[in-house]
Order: sequence, then structure tokens, then C-alpha cells
Amino acid sequence: MSEEFEPSVVAFLCNWCSYAGADLAGTSRLKYPDNVRSIRVMCSGRVDPVFVLDALKEGIDGVLVAGCHPGDCHYQSGNYKTNRKMMLIKKLLADFNIDPDRLRFEYISASEGQKFADVVTEFVSTLKAIGPNPLKDECL
Amino acid sequence: MIYGLKIENDVPKTVNNFLKQLLESGKVEAVLAMQETPSGRSAFPTMISDPDKLDTNVFAPLLPVSTGAMVSRLTKVKGSKKPLAVVLRACELRALTELLKLKQADLENIVLIGVDCLGTFPMKIYSNYPGDEDPTEVVLKGEGEEDMRTACLNCKDPVPETADLIIGIFGTDTGKSILLDTRTEKGQELINDMGLSEFGNEKDREKAVLDIRNKRDEARKAFMEEHSDIIGVEKLLEFFDTCVNCHNCMKACPICYCRECLFESDVFDVEASKYMAKAKSKGAYKTPTDSLLFHITRFNHMILSCVECGLCEQACPSDIPLMDIITAIAENAQAEFEYLPGRDPEEEMPMVVYREDEFQDVGEG
Amino acid sequence: MSEEKEKTKEDFEPKIVGFLCNWCSYAGADLAGTSRIQYPPNIRVIRVMCSGAVDSVYVNRALLEGADAVFIGGCHPGDCHYLNGNYKARRKMVLLKNILTTLGMEPERIWVRWISASEGQKFADTVKEIVDETKKLGPNPMKEKWNI
Repeated sequence: MSEEFEPSVVAFLCNWCSYAGADLAGTSRLKYPDNVRSIRVMCSGRVDPVFVLDALKEGIDGVLVAGCHPGDCHYQSGNYKTNRKMMLIKKLLADFNIDPDRLRFEYISASEGQKFADVVTEFVSTLKAIGPNPLKDECL
Repeated sequence: MIYGLKIENDVPKTVNNFLKQLLESGKVEAVLAMQETPSGRSAFPTMISDPDKLDTNVFAPLLPVSTGAMVSRLTKVKGSKKPLAVVLRACELRALTELLKLKQADLENIVLIGVDCLGTFPMKIYSNYPGDEDPTEVVLKGEGEEDMRTACLNCKDPVPETADLIIGIFGTDTGKSILLDTRTEKGQELINDMGLSEFGNEKDREKAVLDIRNKRDEARKAFMEEHSDIIGVEKLLEFFDTCVNCHNCMKACPICYCRECLFESDVFDVEASKYMAKAKSKGAYKTPTDSLLFHITRFNHMILSCVECGLCEQACPSDIPLMDIITAIAENAQAEFEYLPGRDPEEEMPMVVYREDEFQDVGEG
Repeated sequence: MSEEKEKTKEDFEPKIVGFLCNWCSYAGADLAGTSRIQYPPNIRVIRVMCSGAVDSVYVNRALLEGADAVFIGGCHPGDCHYLNGNYKARRKMVLLKNILTTLGMEPERIWVRWISASEGQKFADTVKEIVDETKKLGPNPMKEKWNI
């Protein structure tokens, strides 16, 4: 049963770095698990905590948020702020007894296609180990 | 036509099975009805599409929100594409009727199943119901009035007259059978092939309904008499003294449909100098400002459609017994315009129509 | 103290807020002015496009802030620039007065009159009537209420 489990992942990728990185992974024909659904945002700073919580509430198994490397943000400081926000959500998730590892924040630049593929591969295997999101069957 | 519905196990389960039949037959795609939450501490109007998850209790004596407002929320943008059966109480149906007139709901593909209401408890009492008794059983036995919400004890009419189909309790022997009263073709179609037999005791039903209406009417008159002393500026200010201006009464009200209430709009976002001017005009001024203005204006905006469900009172964090004054305000205002909210979906709302030869004493002289 | 209070009532000059419709009553008030008709200066006029635009909140606010009377002036029945705004204004004010009656909040401080653009004299007379009647009624008790 657990072998068959394919986690669903929503990825919020910043327009300037991580989305381009994911694009590079594709154009470079790098293999990575197809469990991820990407949503392009103009900056990782645009990712409001509610996006993450709503995805988890609706039964998504893992949320990946990726932005530019520190110092590289197109809007100067968006990624620093996201880093703090995601740290806070992880703490909250733990309080609600939801595995904080279901949320992952990474810096991925436009040239790091390989890093994108690696992160997704690793994240999916982590999620497989954690198991399905228990909220999937709840009507909240 | 009035049919009998034989009781298997108990009344709520019988109705649940009836709804299950509707769902399984494919006549409806989903049911919106009161379903107890897993803890059993509350119940909410729940959209159920899977017959296996259907575990409704349409007689749960609780009104957490108005199903009328929920139907508005579900269909305001566009009517339902697939048939949905909505189970609601009389006050909820009246609210929905008013919302329909205000073009805030769409009944396309919706069948309205009304249930006789035996009265409801405040959320605080329902969720911690004393003793081992199940609150639903208590009201089905005709007891528990001492704990009921004032709105229910003074209810204008606990029978959902304008529904497509009424699930009736009054005038039935709940140990044996309850009744299904089809009021429209839509309602008739639901039960056509269920092989139900006629109820047969129409006289009992009529008498029981009349009795409960008279009882509530009398309670209502006595209640208004009892609270007729809340009159005049001093008493009114005292009544609203504990209002913290949270607007919860407005948010809970099924009739207050405005997406942005005037009182939460920029109109009341004013610069400091305006507050200073207020303070100077009277020498002192309480903040938050405009509490009484909010209440009196809200009455003006919604009272003609007020179905007296009492959700405002239930929502008040300061426990202001709003129904103590709203009952009389609604009674007098609705009488002035000979209007009864929820009575008839075709009836025009008083504030959108006029007659040339009316209220001559206002304006002339 | 009681002497002082009596004096206030005698000399009290009521403050009246007037909502006058653009097409009739406001023009009527204007005519009263250009015709040099004398009327008490107790009224503060607010021009509205139609008496039907006067929501209860305007009237309530004026009264709760301490205005001694509120006057709503509209076109004569049948003459509304927007066909039926004044009929609807009438219903709104009937409702407001009804609610204030139930609450015991002096509905007689609200005045509705139809005054056409040619009725400068009627406007002046109406203001005089309102001032006289309001003086009899005494100051609005809300003037002193800071805890509203």
C-alpha cells in the first residue's frame, strides 16, 4: 500500500529564479518525479501562509516554496521575508500535529536546474516516508 | 397530498433514511441538511453527496447559522447545475425567501424540504447538554422549553409553509409515523415512486399546527408586554450599554446581505480631527463611536425582512438580549406596511413599491 | 440650577438639519432667499439629488449627534425628477418614525414636506413652523449623551 502511495506536491516558484530553474530542468531533460504541480508567483515573498495552509487543508501532501538565493531577490528582500514566514509556519504546523517536513523552503537560482530536480526527488521521497496527509479525508 | 412516513428506529434516523433514498435514487445530487459534527457537540448544515456519509439529524435543536443564508452563499453567483435537496426550518426558509426577493439566491435545481421546528437551544446549552439526555430526544418528546432560545419560544410560525415538501411532526404520533406534505410538483416528484400511503389524520395535523401557533402567539404577546418598558433614550442607552460594536449581530443576520456594510466602510474611516470635533461637540464622547447609530440604522435596513430567527442575539458576545426589543420593532414596522417576511415569494418588499395615496400624514401639512 | 434650565428652554435656538432635494425644495429655499423672505436662521441645509436618497442613517446620525430637528424636503407627489423617489422617501421616513416610536425616541423631530421650486414662501413658513414646534418640544436630549 505505502509503495503505491504517490504524494501530491504543490510548488510555489518565484518568477525570476526558481521557475526559470524548473524550466531549465525541463529543457535540459533532467528526470524528476512528476508529483509536483508548479504555480508561478512573482516572488517567493508573494506566498502568503494561507496558500500553504489551504493546500495542506485540502489534502495536498507537501508544499514546496522556492525563491532566489539570499541577496539575489529581484525585489531586494522578498526571499528573506519568506524564509522567516516559512519558519513560522513550520512551528505552527508542529503545534497542530502536522509534520513540519510537509513544508519545504529552498533557494533555487535560474541556473540550478539540477538542484530543482534533486530537491523535488528528495522531497517526494521524504513525503513517501511520512505518508499521506491525514487531512485528505477530513471535511474542514 | 399528505403521506405518512413510518418510523424505523427513531425519528431522525427515519428522516435520514428518507434522504438517503433520495440521494441513492439519483433524484438529487446532494443534500444540504443538519448533520452532527463527529464530537456531537454541534451540528451544521452540511452538503452531503456520498450516501455513506449521510448521517443527518434534521431535528437537532440548534441553529448555528441560517441555512437560508447558506443557500444564498451556494447559489448567489449562479444557480445549482445539479439537483440539490435543502432541508431547512421555517425561519430559515423565511430568510431564504427574503434573500430571493433581494436576488441573493437562485432556486434553480433546488428542492426545499421544510421541517417542523420544535425549537432550538442556544449553542452554549446544546454543546454541553446537561445530563445523559440527547437534546434531540428531549425536543421530540415536547420538552426542554425552559432552555430554548427566546426567538423560538416566540416563533411566528414553526411550520415551513412555502417549502416544496414538508416533513411534519406536529399532529403525528412520533412513535409510529410522521408525515410528508407535498406542496409543489417538485416536492411531489421526490416521493412519487416511494410507495407511501396517505397520512389519514389531516384533522389531527391541522389542530396541532393551530395549537402550536396559538401557543407561540400568546407567548409572543406576553413577551412583548413584558419588555415594553425598554422605551425612551435612557432605557435604550442602558440596553445597549454593553455593546462593544463588534457587528457580530449583523454578520450573523441572514438578512444583512450587503457585501460591505456601510458601517464597515470608508464612510466611518475618518481622520482624527473628526473624532476631536465629536468630543468637543458634547464635551466627551465614548469610543468606539456610533454604536447606537449602528443598531438603529441596522433596524431600519433589515427589520421589514426580519424573520426573527434570533441569530443576532445568539451571536452577541455581551449577551445583549436583542430579541427583547427586536420582537416589538419588527411587529410594529411590519404591521405598518402590512408585510410579513417570508410569507410569499411573490410578495413585493415594502421599500421597493409605493402607492400614491398612502401615508398622507407624512409630507403634507 | 432649575432657573438656569428654564432659561435655556426659553431662549433655546433649535438646530435643524435640512435635506433638500436638488430639483424642488432646494430651489424653493433658494427662491425664499432671492425673494428676501425672512425665515429663522436655525436651519443648515444639505442638498441631496433626491429626497429618496436620504437614508435613515443620515437622519439618525443628525438626531443622535444632537440636532433638534431634521427636515426632509422633496418634490410634490407626482413631480419627482426621478419619478418616484419622493414616494419611496415617504415610505422610508414612515418606517423610521415607526421604529423610533417603538423605541420611544421622539419621531416628531423628523419633518417631511413637499416644497416645489416656486414655493419660496412655503419653505420659509415650514422652517418657521419647525422652529416654533421644536422650541415647544425643547432641546434634543441626545445633545448631552456622550455614551452613544
